[in-house]
Amino acid sequence: MSVMLTKFESKSNRVKGLAFHPTQPLLAASLHNGSVQLWNYRMGVLVDRFEEHEGPVRAVAIHPSRALLATGGDDYKIKVWDIRPTNRRCLFTLHGHLDYVRTVQFHHEMPWILSASDDQTIRIWNSTSRNCIAILTGHSHYVMSAQFHPKEDLIVSASQDQTVRVWDISGLRKNTPNSAPGTFDSFDNFSTVKYVLEGHDRGVNWAAFHPTLPLIVSAADDRQIKIWRMSETKAWEVDSCRGHFNNVSTALFHPKHELIVSCGEDKTVRVWDLTKRTAVQTFRREHDRFWVLAAHPELNLFAAGHDNGLIVFKLERERPAFAIHGDMLYYVRDKYVRSYDINTGTDVGLLSVRKFGSPYVPPRTLSFNPAERAVLLTISSDNGLYELSSLPKDAIGEVKDSSTDGKRGNGQAAIFVARNRFAVLNKATQLIEVRDLSNSVVKSIKPPVQTNEIFYGGTASLILSSPSSVVLYDIQQQKTLAEITTPPVKYVVWSADGSLVALLSKHTITIANKNFSQHTLIHETIRIKSGAWDDSGVFIYSTLNHIKYCLAQGDHGVICTLDNPVYLTRVKGKTVHCLDRSARPRTITIDPTEYRFKLALLRNNHEEMLYIIRTSNLLGQSIIAYLQQKGFPEIALHFVQDKNTRFDLAIECGNLDVALETAQAIDRPDCWERLAQQALKQGNHKIVEKAYQRTKNFDRLSFLYLATGSTEKLTKMQKIAHARGDPMSRFHNALYAGDVHGRIAVLRDVGMHPLAYLTAKTNGLDDLALEILEAAGLTEADVDDVPSFGQSTLKPPPVVTPTTNFNWPALSTGESFFDRALANGNLEGGADAPYLNGVDGAGAASAALDDWAKEEEAGEDIAAEEGAWDLDADAEDAAEQEKEEELVEEEPELGAGATPGVSETELWTRNSPFAADHVAAGSFDTAMQLLHRQFGVVNFSHLKPVFLSIYRSSHVYLSPMASLPPLQLHLRRNPEESAPARVLPVAMRTLPSIRAELSEGFRAVSGNKLPEAQTVFRSVLRALLLVPISSDNEAKEWRDLVTLSREYLLGVTLEIERRRVAQENPDNVRRSLELAAYFTHCKLQPAHLQIALRSAIGVFAKANNHATAAKFARRLLDLNPDPKIVAQARQRIAAGDRNPRNAVEIDYDEFTEFEICAASYTPIYKGSPAVRCPYTDAAYLPQYKGQLDPLTELTEIGASSAGLPAPRS
Amino acid sequence: MDSPELYHVKQQFTLGAYKSLVSLSLPDADSPDYIPTLVYQARAHLALDDPSAALALVPSDTENVALRAVAALSRYVTAEADPAKEEARDAALEQLRDLCVEVEGDDEDVSEWEKGTVRVLSAIAFARAGEIEEALETLGAGGETHNLEAVAYTVQIYLSIHRPDLARKEFERAKRWAEDDLLLQLIEASIGLVTGRDAYADAHAFFSEQLANPSLTSPRLLTARGVARLLRGELSAAKSDLEEAAVQMGGKPDSETLGAQTVAAGLGAAKTAEADQLFGQLSTEHPGFPLVLDLERKAHLFDELATKFAVPPVAAA
Repeated sequence: MSVMLTKFESKSNRVKGLAFHPTQPLLAASLHNGSVQLWNYRMGVLVDRFEEHEGPVRAVAIHPSRALLATGGDDYKIKVWDIRPTNRRCLFTLHGHLDYVRTVQFHHEMPWILSASDDQTIRIWNSTSRNCIAILTGHSHYVMSAQFHPKEDLIVSASQDQTVRVWDISGLRKNTPNSAPGTFDSFDNFSTVKYVLEGHDRGVNWAAFHPTLPLIVSAADDRQIKIWRMSETKAWEVDSCRGHFNNVSTALFHPKHELIVSCGEDKTVRVWDLTKRTAVQTFRREHDRFWVLAAHPELNLFAAGHDNGLIVFKLERERPAFAIHGDMLYYVRDKYVRSYDINTGTDVGLLSVRKFGSPYVPPRTLSFNPAERAVLLTISSDNGLYELSSLPKDAIGEVKDSSTDGKRGNGQAAIFVARNRFAVLNKATQLIEVRDLSNSVVKSIKPPVQTNEIFYGGTASLILSSPSSVVLYDIQQQKTLAEITTPPVKYVVWSADGSLVALLSKHTITIANKNFSQHTLIHETIRIKSGAWDDSGVFIYSTLNHIKYCLAQGDHGVICTLDNPVYLTRVKGKTVHCLDRSARPRTITIDPTEYRFKLALLRNNHEEMLYIIRTSNLLGQSIIAYLQQKGFPEIALHFVQDKNTRFDLAIECGNLDVALETAQAIDRPDCWERLAQQALKQGNHKIVEKAYQRTKNFDRLSFLYLATGSTEKLTKMQKIAHARGDPMSRFHNALYAGDVHGRIAVLRDVGMHPLAYLTAKTNGLDDLALEILEAAGLTEADVDDVPSFGQSTLKPPPVVTPTTNFNWPALSTGESFFDRALANGNLEGGADAPYLNGVDGAGAASAALDDWAKEEEAGEDIAAEEGAWDLDADAEDAAEQEKEEELVEEEPELGAGATPGVSETELWTRNSPFAADHVAAGSFDTAMQLLHRQFGVVNFSHLKPVFLSIYRSSHVYLSPMASLPPLQLHLRRNPEESAPARVLPVAMRTLPSIRAELSEGFRAVSGNKLPEAQTVFRSVLRALLLVPISSDNEAKEWRDLVTLSREYLLGVTLEIERRRVAQENPDNVRRSLELAAYFTHCKLQPAHLQIALRSAIGVFAKANNHATAAKFARRLLDLNPDPKIVAQARQRIAAGDRNPRNAVEIDYDEFTEFEICAASYTPIYKGSPAVRCPYTDAAYLPQYKGQLDPLTELTEIGASSAGLPAPRS
Repeated sequence: MDSPELYHVKQQFTLGAYKSLVSLSLPDADSPDYIPTLVYQARAHLALDDPSAALALVPSDTENVALRAVAALSRYVTAEADPAKEEARDAALEQLRDLCVEVEGDDEDVSEWEKGTVRVLSAIAFARAGEIEEALETLGAGGETHNLEAVAYTVQIYLSIHRPDLARKEFERAKRWAEDDLLLQLIEASIGLVTGRDAYADAHAFFSEQLANPSLTSPRLLTARGVARLLRGELSAAKSDLEEAAVQMGGKPDSETLGAQTVAAGLGAAKTAEADQLFGQLSTEHPGFPLVLDLERKAHLFDELATKFAVPPVAAA
């Protein structure tokens, strides 16, 4: 029996029409109330609604390739809609039908729309011209449905006149009429009734073609479904399916299997076997009559519309039964057990299980026993069956069927629990039987909980899944070891080393250790489909639409999105192996960086973290937020370039140095305030002081000086307060500093003579007191009623420990691993790469390190600078500051004191790991370092013109306003991009321009201008060093160009050397021959290789080395040269055959692969040691290590290098 | 409200039609337009790098502050080219500072226009001398002056110190009161040239529009559009603009045109001969042009940096 699995249900008005989107999870439903709904059945959301029809809408169709929807209603109209969310609207309306429109359909390739109507006609419309191009007449009652044949020019229609008709419309395709609407008569020429199928006793509601076979299925009010067969000349009834006990609304062929699916007003959906015409399955609804049925063209998915909504369902489970053992996957597809080697991709059928259970139902689970090479399958049909069969040792010959020696029994779940034991669960009796391989029961277990599923639970243990928990159960002792409360667990996945287990429920994953003593729960809103363990201990799982990861401690995140669900089987490095919904093995490449990084973080594996930082572009905001949230702000600090974030992080982790540096860069009052708070907490009063100064927080500053006992600065504060004209502040400062004279002066200045007098008096300053009295116009006699006070003892507290010049001692945090690694700035210094997968990105990381190193240097510069607000300034200066301050308050940013911003060139160096971009930015320093690091360049003298011309071409000057110095404007690579984090300099040299130059070199070679060619190839190789790369494809092309140029340069150099030898040392024939022979082994293009070979033939023939000359001639022939050359070559071969000897013996072994040392021009045979040019990869004899590469004269031979950096996307 | 004649003078000045501006005949000496026209003509001479002509234009006995300022600036520019004349340079700067102080007060005799002109001219000298802060202060940056020319100069100075954000702020503020003045559009275009917003659409559109302005022809506009097109990556269009500009300049392109031509010739070409030739011309004709100076510095820097790497002997058999 087939299973019907409802995937989605909606409640609405009566659904009269349904159409699936061919590629997206969308379903259009037309309703009796005039509305047309567009559902995303996977997410369960209503995407859109189209409501322009008046009255019920019965007809709906989605275009097979375009975002179009057609609907037809009881308002006689056909409407065509654009369903793109940005552009949704009714595009046009087709008028013409004179009664209800029953169905519409788009043609699969022509711009045609087919409609069937109660006006007894079928019409074909051209959706481009929006005209009716054909009217098919002949039915004598309502036409209930009409459909195009999926391939041929046929239409099948069903009518209440009790007939099904097949129409031939091949004429229409040939003569698409361009006549104006209204000339309908001519249409009959294009379409004719081919067959009239009579047999139904009542009106026919639906007729449909089989997708591949010449069959038609029809559904009628006589409660029957009829199957008809067509030949070229006739059509006849084959059989009927009886079973519906009311009108049958729709009947369809299953797109993949030999089944018919139908629905009717008897409130059932039925499935029939096409070959046997017997009912397979009936699905009943209590109250709702079914009106329409639609099949998805690709997937195992159907939709049915009824009185109160619609359902989307599938007929069978798609999850394939599989088990993984090592790198072998055992799985079931189309009722065959197959094995798939995930290393080699070998996929072979091993065993047929066609006779196991219902033929329509695939096996549900598979358990594999490697020791016995046996499989245990279960199937849900027949109330649950299991079967134990052995797999053949090798898959040669006929695949046997499991029925021959399989051992079967009843049970809902069955798994191997030991080499020679398996457990079978009987749900109804709640009994678990442990059986041996001969299928006899050795033990029966009564599970302690209501058990729906059993899984392997480790040695001699079972995991029992109950509705509310999972139980780890020991078979031997028959007792519960542990229990975890979870929603019902459907699948269990063990990690490779058996230490962790993932328990998968519909919406949760529980990760537990092997004795269930620790576990974490992850919740997903989208249904979880499957999962597999990464070798590093990360659980990778798939939901309906994502592949995600989850760490043992519960962190999880998205890796990538999926178009369709997949079932993960094995994760190896970047590759996820899975089975798709039709049980075909597939692989998906994922980026494991994020979870590996998080894992390394959890495990404190700093080497690996650093390695990941270097090899990937892992600098997103999310990772920073993650680090911060997980309590690693100090690590996050190393990733951040943005000033504000850097500041926040530095404050959070208490790194005052960085905080100060960034605060200076940001220079906003709130930053300074936060810095002051944090510094105060740490007792670093120098930074507090600086921050207060910057924010002009005079009160606090004074108090700070009081606290640190810095009287000297308090005195200065008094002066400043004086300049600011703030008597209160002056008074404060005087009080703090214990400066009685100062205090008196303030009091006098503000006219508070009594207080001034008393202050003077109580401090024993009688002269001053007298002076005050005089100033106030009084004499001592006037104040004799003032009681005399004793000497004031109030004094500022004495300084116990002078801290003015010391910060509060804090424990040194020490240099962190990252500080060291990053300050080092050099790749060689780092640990060896733990993963080899991501080596391609090493260059980018080294550039990033450069940036960091640079940034840190810059930071030091700033720190060394004095604060702009210097206390040593005299009062006058302070007053001037004051004036400026007013401006500042008004508009903090604008004003004369604007500090220079970040220049574009700085952005360029920040944004690119390519030397070319650093050169364009004028940062020759970093550019050289990059070239040195990436390609081992040491001799820069040849690059000077290239550097200068690149720099020169990247900036242009213009002064919009007369007489001002012109602005330096910067040419960008992409004028559309102006975001500071993305701008890059223009590429002066690009790969196409290099290629043009290279072909110039080719021309020089063809023209025998070898020194010229040598210059060109050298220049090309030098220019290539400074070409920025933007994609992986470009990187590959770049590498090819480097190799090609190197080969030519080497070849040309060899030939120049040969000519020199021949001229200067004519007796050294042997050397001349060798060089000519080596030249033929440079990887040149065929045209140039011919030149090399012909030259070698000539030289060898002249030296009477006929045997080798003949060999060259044969190689020449392989290149299909001109007929003339062919003739010459044949002569040489003949000469070689006549005289197969060599007069001069040379060092040339053509049978062993070799490379040519570009310094000594001698062969380095395969297997012999060689050192290489770090840039061009040219080979050299080991003795040349450390010397300058003679080909390009740029690099140090054998130096280590990082290679081309990965383009930053 | 300016007279139509003066408006035209200003327009020519703003759009860089300096050549035609200096060849205009002066209005009557009693006309209110006389002094402004004289000042703009002198400034046009300065823009054409001819300070002596500017100086010759100004009556030596004038009392007018604007004229005195333009004379002082001319003297500064003259002295600037010669390192030996440092004193003359400083003297000119001092003079301008004094003039700034002079116009500070509420002197009834000095018009707003004159005050603004003195400030702008002084700021030009300060900026040329590298006194950015002083220049900005003189221009009243961030203040409430309604002198669009001052704003324009402020904006360019902000742009030169990589603060397009402040430049834009200043521009936005000016937009509130300056309506759609030609100069305001130029300011917007300048900001666009630096920030590259909307792929330099502002600048490109403005220069193209003004090229079609029937009331004047200015090869500077062609240069400017050439530069904008260069920035937009439209290489061949840029080259033709620059060539046309050079032709209109009588075959003697100014430093910026020549500089831009050098850049255009160097882009994408394998051979640097053409660019080198243009650059050679630029460095002989305009040895003080920033591109020339900058490149000299860079060449020097290169040599210095290259020595930091030890070059081993060439491998040879």
